[in-house]
Amino acid sequence: MRSISLCFQVHQPYRMLPYTFFDLGNNHVYEDNRANETILKKVAENCYLPANALLLELTQHFMGDFRCTFSLTGTFLEQSVEFNTPVLSSFQNVVRSNCIEILSETYYHSLSAFFHPEEFRRQIDLHRKYIHKYFGLTPSIFRNTELIHNNAIAEQVKGLGLKGILTEGVATLLKGRNNQKLYTPSQTEIPLLLRHCTYSDDIAFRFSDKQWKGYPLSATTFAEWIDHSLKKNEHLTLYIDYETLGEHHSSATGIFEFIKELPKEILSRKIHFLNPSEAIESHDIQDVYDAHHTISWADSEKDLSAWYMNSMQREALEKIYSLTPLIYKIKNRAFLETWSRLQTSDHFYYMSTKGLADGKVHQYFSPFPTPYDAYIHYMNIVADFELELKKYSIL
Amino acid sequence: MLGWEFPPIVSGGLGVATLGITKALTKYVQQQVVLPKSDPGIRLPNTQVIGLNERTQIRVRDQFQTDYYQGYETSFSSAPSIDPYATNGSLPIGIKKPSTWSTGSSTKKKEWYHPFEIDALYDHQTHQKVIDYAFQTADLVQDWNFDIIHAHDWMTLLAGVEIKHRTGKPLVVHIHSLEYDRTGATENNWIFAIEKLGMEVADYVVPVSHYTASIAHETYQIPIHKLRPVHNGIDFKIPFKEPKQFPEKLILFIGRLTHQKGPEYFLEVADRVLQQYPNTRFVMAGTGDQFQPLIETGAYKHMGTKLHFTGFLDRSKINSLLSMADVYVMPSVSEPFGLSALEAAQFGVPCIVSKQSGVSEILTGALTVDYWDVKSMVQSILLVLRDEHFAATMADNARQDAALSTWERTAAQLFDLYKTLVVR
Repeated sequence: MRSISLCFQVHQPYRMLPYTFFDLGNNHVYEDNRANETILKKVAENCYLPANALLLELTQHFMGDFRCTFSLTGTFLEQSVEFNTPVLSSFQNVVRSNCIEILSETYYHSLSAFFHPEEFRRQIDLHRKYIHKYFGLTPSIFRNTELIHNNAIAEQVKGLGLKGILTEGVATLLKGRNNQKLYTPSQTEIPLLLRHCTYSDDIAFRFSDKQWKGYPLSATTFAEWIDHSLKKNEHLTLYIDYETLGEHHSSATGIFEFIKELPKEILSRKIHFLNPSEAIESHDIQDVYDAHHTISWADSEKDLSAWYMNSMQREALEKIYSLTPLIYKIKNRAFLETWSRLQTSDHFYYMSTKGLADGKVHQYFSPFPTPYDAYIHYMNIVADFELELKKYSIL
Repeated sequence: MLGWEFPPIVSGGLGVATLGITKALTKYVQQQVVLPKSDPGIRLPNTQVIGLNERTQIRVRDQFQTDYYQGYETSFSSAPSIDPYATNGSLPIGIKKPSTWSTGSSTKKKEWYHPFEIDALYDHQTHQKVIDYAFQTADLVQDWNFDIIHAHDWMTLLAGVEIKHRTGKPLVVHIHSLEYDRTGATENNWIFAIEKLGMEVADYVVPVSHYTASIAHETYQIPIHKLRPVHNGIDFKIPFKEPKQFPEKLILFIGRLTHQKGPEYFLEVADRVLQQYPNTRFVMAGTGDQFQPLIETGAYKHMGTKLHFTGFLDRSKINSLLSMADVYVMPSVSEPFGLSALEAAQFGVPCIVSKQSGVSEILTGALTVDYWDVKSMVQSILLVLRDEHFAATMADNARQDAALSTWERTAAQLFDLYKTLVVR
């Protein structure tokens, strides 16, 4: 059987306020709720609501033959509830079609896998709890923040009882092998689904690029490419930001029509839609994907360098995780939540000083004018947070 | 009075000082202040403030006499400077020679008219504006009745020299800062050459400190008998105390983040103090070409939650910082005066200032160290932090030093100097 998974990542961080030295000790509100609400509502209007309506229509029309997968971060779910939007119920409607799988991940879209195993586990558990609460589902396939992956993380994920992992298909690890097979890490055995970087980015990045030779891309052409590329018993994983639909590419680009046409084109070529947990049941592990260094789906380096490279990112990340023992000791819910939200990987992404094309992507997502501003404000917030923590722990 | 910056159109300490001096001098003399750009709202007794930008037509009749170009023609090598306080001072390529000047030996008078246009006081056209200012100011004032020409800093020196040539009136050159302080330049530099020319032609040179006088003498070879240092003053202000919202002691750096101000020494000092006295916080207020490298270095040293960068701050925020501060540090590599240290003193903040500064001559109660001597700077800070009585004494002395540093004192000394020139 030839099959394909279509996965959408849905994430919104809690953006922080510009927080100056003069706020230190005076102001303990760190989150820019106005910006967070405005952005969520804008993206809901451009993407979440129309895209959900489309997916619901497709699942109904194909009666189970069209299936897709969501990865929903905790910070996204929380904001859609907090700002009183119809977003959550709209996702619940789609999920009720029984054609949707939801992936497991860290609740706060954090880099905890790399910095603190116990915190990593806590966030996966928290996420599982909320997915069950909102959708009645228990995720079994894990995707880490930004598809960050290595052998050690895989081992830990297996230890948590999860059944498979979705991560990036990185050329340096594939060494010429194709990413349309199931792999396993070297020490432990757990199925790995690899994101097909080229086809995923054709939709996510290049779809509206008039300079691209594939422009304009039709669902027919795209399905032809996939048909041509998939051999017998192979499986292909597409994994893109959900915001690709209507937000990164506006509806005027024809992205919704593309998605609408895609299932028909795929199915007519005798390729099945399978969600990740179904794919690992239908296909066998064929080879070893030995990630002894850490990989991710970000930037051209496909490693941690988008969040953990320059001195500002290093200090900020190391600082926030250095507070772990104190946070665990005082067991205060409000502090725990603030600290967790400060772990969201986006904060460190804004501090990246990479140039060229990747730098533009970083800047597109950042609420701050420069990486230096992002760092200054973040560290001022952490300074105030630390003061509050110490005050509390003395009492 | 020939000025460049003048509040409210001001970008640095020069404007504050020019206004302070002009205002205090109104008690003694009548002044006509010529500026490239002035605010129509400015009103001072006994004083006429003229902005060339406000004049619709300016006539330039006479040949410009001062040779400011030919001697330095060979030195125009580097790229044009945008900010004369940030880059080297070579004359930009493509600068226009005004038509009246190019004919050399011709004695025929030409007349031309055009309004003086200026947007920013410092941009890529600054050099051309300095030359235009000189041409037009010279023509404007040559028939006026006055006794003394008083020119502030290099931007107005060409005008000052030309007016002296045409009228024979005595020239006082006031030096607030030198190209040598800003960039370390000594030769192959147009601004340096203008400064040297201006000081050579001047009857008296008034540096804002003995420190600057020594640079004028040693680096520009200006004879000591012409150098008459007069310290700047500070406007009276009632300081206030704002409670800090955090338990740590606060140590301040205020100034542009450029090599001249020594911010990298401050950062090194902060790192060492934090290791020995963790109950401290550091603020670096200001911006400049070292902003990003300093942030990265601070992050590398893991000081981000204890060393705070604020960027550029307005007056009220600066005052708020001063009202909270426990120590003020000024590690300038070369600082003609250092008004911000005097402002800190006014707020009763114990000051640690570099020996390479003018303000160290009047802050008798401050601790002084060589700017490169990080070890002594750390020890001085620890001394103030650890000994409350000593800190209190330093604070009292600082307030007294500041109280004595009035613009009235500055004006009185300048008036004495004027008198010797007019009698002659």
